[in-house]
Amino acid sequence: MSTSDFLTLYLTTLVTMLACRCIPMFVLKGRDLPEKVSEALGLIPPAAFAALVANDLFSTTMFSNGVWAGLMPLVASLVVVVVARKTKSLIWCVIAGVGCYVLLTLI
Amino acid sequence: MGYNALTMTMKKTATQALSAALPVMAGYVAIGIPCGILESQIGMDALMAFVMSATFYSGAGQFMECNMWLAGMPMSSIIASVSFVNTRQMLYSAAFSPYFTNVRKRLTFLFSATVTDESFGVNLSHFVSDETWTATHATLVNLFCMTSWAVSAAVGALVGSAVAIPTAIAAFAMTSIFICLLVSQPLNHITAVVMVVAAAGVIVCKLMGLTAPAILIGACAGVVAGMVAREVRVG
Repeated sequence: MSTSDFLTLYLTTLVTMLACRCIPMFVLKGRDLPEKVSEALGLIPPAAFAALVANDLFSTTMFSNGVWAGLMPLVASLVVVVVARKTKSLIWCVIAGVGCYVLLTLI
Repeated sequence: MGYNALTMTMKKTATQALSAALPVMAGYVAIGIPCGILESQIGMDALMAFVMSATFYSGAGQFMECNMWLAGMPMSSIIASVSFVNTRQMLYSAAFSPYFTNVRKRLTFLFSATVTDESFGVNLSHFVSDETWTATHATLVNLFCMTSWAVSAAVGALVGSAVAIPTAIAAFAMTSIFICLLVSQPLNHITAVVMVVAAAGVIVCKLMGLTAPAILIGACAGVVAGMVAREVRVG
């Protein structure tokens, strides 16, 4: 990748990224929002996390290396759910999740 | 407040922010190093990797850029796809806006510009459950995480392919963080509808080949479904 290619890719994606990250904040900040809008904003976290988890766990190629390879992350996820409910701790979830995933790949 | 009292407060704020940021920082080391290794494969050096990670600061975006570049895709389609994937950031930005009503512009900009999927979750749960959580705490969390990400990517670019880290396993650290944040959300009939529809929306998008906008479309579908569920309940 040449320096000019790098700069083109870097600068254009940086501009669109900053626009997405900053514009809604500055448009909405300090306004009295209608109740409906505030309610919708409050639903963003559960929607975003469910979408992020689903995006990580499901893909059209997930079973291309065999059924078990596709199921492994799902099994490890169930373990993380249990640990999350018990501990509510991010770091324990990371340790349990990655540890379980590694163990399953060794089986 | 005297000078000493002020320093003490700042120290306390920094310590609180650091302890909230640590799990994400650890995850960023695990995934930032492979990201830097991949970036070195498309010809980026450690400085480029550092600058890109500290400013553009997007794990998904940076992995996509490298993979699409290696696959020989044209620049225009890489830029379009990556920008599309990052549109989900608009949701996070909007969700934080009520907490920044009286925060000055420069701090608001620094905060907004450094929000990621993971730091969004950590900061929003603190804003919701802890009245003493301030914009300064939240911005420090973002900057700690960003430092960890940028340094790890630079290290990855330096060592290049000398180290092999299985990316699927490293990426599962992030998945575990998202699962923990999802499980920590209050569960009632409305949020249950939101979660199921958002997850189903992502899967449907992927089956239809809409991989890049899957997260945004799924999350928006979840929010809309939640609003409908609320109307029906109140109705």
